[in-house]
Amino acid sequence: MNKVVTIHLRGAAFQLEEAGYDALRAYLDGAARRLEGNPDKDEIIADIEQAIADKCRAVLGAYKNVVVAAEITQIIDEMGPVQDAAAEGEERPAGAAPGAAAAGPATGAEAGPPPRVRRLYKIREGAMVAGVCNGLGVYFGIDPTLVRILFVLLTFFWGLAILLYIVLMIILPTPETPAEKAAAYGIPATAQEFIRRAREGYYEGMRTWGNRRAHREWRRRFKHEMKGWGYRLKREMQETADRAQQQWHQHWQPPACTPPAWTPPPGPPFLLLITLPFVALARGLLAVFAFFAVISLLATHTVFGVAPPAGMPLWAALVLLLIVITIISWPLKVLRHAWAWHAGRGAYYVPPVFWFVDTVVAIGCAVLAIWCINRYVPHAHEALQAAPAVFHQMIDAVKQWWAGR
Amino acid sequence: MGVNEKFNPIRKGLLEFLVLKIIAADKVYAADILRQLRETEFATQEGTLYPLLSKMRREKLLDYEWKESEAGPPRKYYELTAKGREQLRETTEYWQKISGTVKDLGRAPAA
Repeated sequence: MNKVVTIHLRGAAFQLEEAGYDALRAYLDGAARRLEGNPDKDEIIADIEQAIADKCRAVLGAYKNVVVAAEITQIIDEMGPVQDAAAEGEERPAGAAPGAAAAGPATGAEAGPPPRVRRLYKIREGAMVAGVCNGLGVYFGIDPTLVRILFVLLTFFWGLAILLYIVLMIILPTPETPAEKAAAYGIPATAQEFIRRAREGYYEGMRTWGNRRAHREWRRRFKHEMKGWGYRLKREMQETADRAQQQWHQHWQPPACTPPAWTPPPGPPFLLLITLPFVALARGLLAVFAFFAVISLLATHTVFGVAPPAGMPLWAALVLLLIVITIISWPLKVLRHAWAWHAGRGAYYVPPVFWFVDTVVAIGCAVLAIWCINRYVPHAHEALQAAPAVFHQMIDAVKQWWAGR
Repeated sequence: MGVNEKFNPIRKGLLEFLVLKIIAADKVYAADILRQLRETEFATQEGTLYPLLSKMRREKLLDYEWKESEAGPPRKYYELTAKGREQLRETTEYWQKISGTVKDLGRAPAA
């Protein structure tokens, strides 16, 4: 026994199983998002709704008046992802055989109606690198650009963000089937439904304003219903978080968290304040060096003339180089962190402006490096352009290794 | 990467040409177009076709009119405009040139 939702598509009413309704909602929302900026958006959506209505009609009969979730999944699958023909650079093949796409969710349909879940996926449509930020944005219902800016900022203040990106890039799946896509866009759908109900309930409340008893009754029911939805949203979030944690534990042991063992002798603050910018400068120069090393590797396949071990693929050499750079910069980092930790404990006061200067020096060095490269290394530009390909090659290699274990 | 995937962009680019050809032959509605494509290498889904049709209409290559159908709601029947027919003629010519090139290139040079 499943709950049924009544909808209307182009003037005809249909009854859908609730899970099917959610999937359809997610599909249409996804389509609307994809067609954002298209002058014919409303018309295309209307055509698509019409086609869905025709397909729904086809599965209904005299004694069957509910479209079950598996049928909706099938219909969405037949429809295929909505692609804006005007937008260039879409990766998705136009002529993808529908049969191949149908194979995926069919297995899911056998296991019962698709569960109402929201999952974190990489979303390649409109992605800058691998779609991680895009997926995060969709998952949390935030503009992906905002997530990207956050990631970049995070990288500035905490270099491990890049590592985090790479880890996410490897562990997050790409949604292949429509059901998975619906899951990827799941949370906005739930949230929107929440908002829609809240709004409806609100209008009803306005209507009963004059009648005191009816109004009290409405308030009680409204609160109750909203609470139910709130719980549901919360529970889903909790479940997803648990699942993510489980996945994480399956793949990796959490790194052991050790407090800094070495504490600097509490020196006079001015010594620290004087040395700090020098440390920043050293780090900046190191960053410039690292940048040039990476460029050199990409452009000439050697690091300043030193060739990596024979037979090593480019991506592995790149990883090795990054590890070496990390090891070299380690002492400087430890020094800074120890100071910051000490300052945080209240041993002495570091004016925030020094952290600011520190960051400015680092950013300045990076900008200088990029400027120098543009100015003096003509084919560095080409190497930079080739970087995404190297990146993808790396991901594929890791994936293959993972699948072949 | 199989041959199939390698030809994705080409199939995608040719889709508009094929849709022009189908509509030129007869007044059709969207499901007709999909049915005609289904058995070919150009099998297409609604999600791709509808945006393409609307783009082509915006470019004034085709137009539609609403017609009552025996069963169900009225449907959009598409037909080519003068500009659409012109484009079809040009594309057909160009296609013949391309397929000629593909056939001839790499053969033993005529002595």
